[in-house]
Amino acid sequence: MSLIIESIQVSILAMGVIFLVLGILIGVIRALVHFLPYSAPPAPASRARAPVAPASATGAVPEEDHVAAIHAALAHHLGKVPQDLHIVNITDY
Amino acid sequence: MDFSFQEALSKIFHSTGLIAIAPGQGVMIVISLVLVYLAIWKKFEPLLLLPIGFGCLLANLPLSMMANTNEGGLFNFFYFGVRHEILPPLIFLGVGALTDFGPLLANPSTLMLGAAAQIGVYTTLIGAVALGFNLQEAAAIGIIGGADGPTSIFLAAKLAPHLLGPIAVAAYSYMSLVPMIQPPIMRLLTTEKERAVKMEQLKPISPTVKIIFPIASTLVIVLMLPGVAPLMGMFMLGNLFRESGVTARLHETSQTHLINIVTILLALAVGSSMTAETFLTSDTIKIIVLGLLAFCMATAGGVLFGKIMYITSGGKVNPLIGSAGVSAVPMAARVSQKVGQETNKTNFLLMHAMGPNVAGVIGSAVAAGVFLSLFGSGDAGSGHAAVETLKTVTASLGQ
Repeated sequence: MSLIIESIQVSILAMGVIFLVLGILIGVIRALVHFLPYSAPPAPASRARAPVAPASATGAVPEEDHVAAIHAALAHHLGKVPQDLHIVNITDY
Repeated sequence: MDFSFQEALSKIFHSTGLIAIAPGQGVMIVISLVLVYLAIWKKFEPLLLLPIGFGCLLANLPLSMMANTNEGGLFNFFYFGVRHEILPPLIFLGVGALTDFGPLLANPSTLMLGAAAQIGVYTTLIGAVALGFNLQEAAAIGIIGGADGPTSIFLAAKLAPHLLGPIAVAAYSYMSLVPMIQPPIMRLLTTEKERAVKMEQLKPISPTVKIIFPIASTLVIVLMLPGVAPLMGMFMLGNLFRESGVTARLHETSQTHLINIVTILLALAVGSSMTAETFLTSDTIKIIVLGLLAFCMATAGGVLFGKIMYITSGGKVNPLIGSAGVSAVPMAARVSQKVGQETNKTNFLLMHAMGPNVAGVIGSAVAAGVFLSLFGSGDAGSGHAAVETLKTVTASLGQ
């Protein structure tokens, strides 16, 4: 019986140590993220204008990659999940 | 010298294993074949159970000299790597090279889920003591709840080497059964509304933070729990190979060839420890039962803490990601994703679950470190220089 009580004491102590160590790690991560924030890599230097993709019969349709990039950026900006957004139209100025 | 055909035939027959086979070895051969069957045909952790099963088969063939205890035998040398804490840390090097800490760094509070899931370790520790194991053995059995094979082997080799075989088999068997064990517990402990929670997209993390994190966490963990330095040190070094961007060759080797080679050696060494004398005992049955308890309680602990985070965050955290805190990377995270999508098909929890999943690896290693600090004395820790140093320091302080 005393061994069981001992094991319960060990468990409580050990869980406390685990939460303490991982709690310290959380503090370390928060400090790192605070002092070293993410900055987006600089955009690649503009290259010579790429040949324009042939427009479809319905007009100028952006390439899928562009739509995906806009989709992701918009979702990130709005703080939403990409699945919540559905781009229906992009106007080219 | 006279040659008698009959005598020669008799001599050859008596030198075969057929005449020397004991009933216990026969049973172990059947068990090894079951492990091989589960690995090949049922796909239960085949990368580990196949070599463990075959190692067990070889170790139990009479006169083969392939048991880990056979001095001079091949597997005796392989087992050296387990006994002297060489192979599990090398596996951790590879695991570190394969691990992306990004989801964890983006949402550091998920580290708490990795801590909460360790409740499985401690409930099993108490259960093991209640079943008659001493505290060192109970600690080695309890760590099965960490759902981390190398950590289980590492700790068992140090605290209860005679239980290494059943502990390793239980750990890897239940890890392969995570997709079956976890979902019913997850559904039981959560409401449909909680399971349907969609989590916010994770923030991107600076590459510099990803480089500094393995160094900083090594400093924190190893300073607090020196006994776990071989595991955590190698884990974080592997990750540093990955994130530093200047050691592409070392990263590539760690995450492919090295981890594969070490897996073969480790699994064969574990298999070779499964002899009739050590495996065919009532302790093995108890360990198998306790292992299941460990996995169930770890899952429940993670999910329940996930529910606490759901409440404290105002419904922003899906409690299903808590189950991934049991480690078992990446299978437990996939289970969170799968159960989440059962409720809401547009829910993507995988990346969110990777945070607690990686935290579970750190959490189980920390749990092992705590056990080593408490019980890593005497024979169990004699191979560890740090423990020897600690003993000397303690003795000198006592004088």
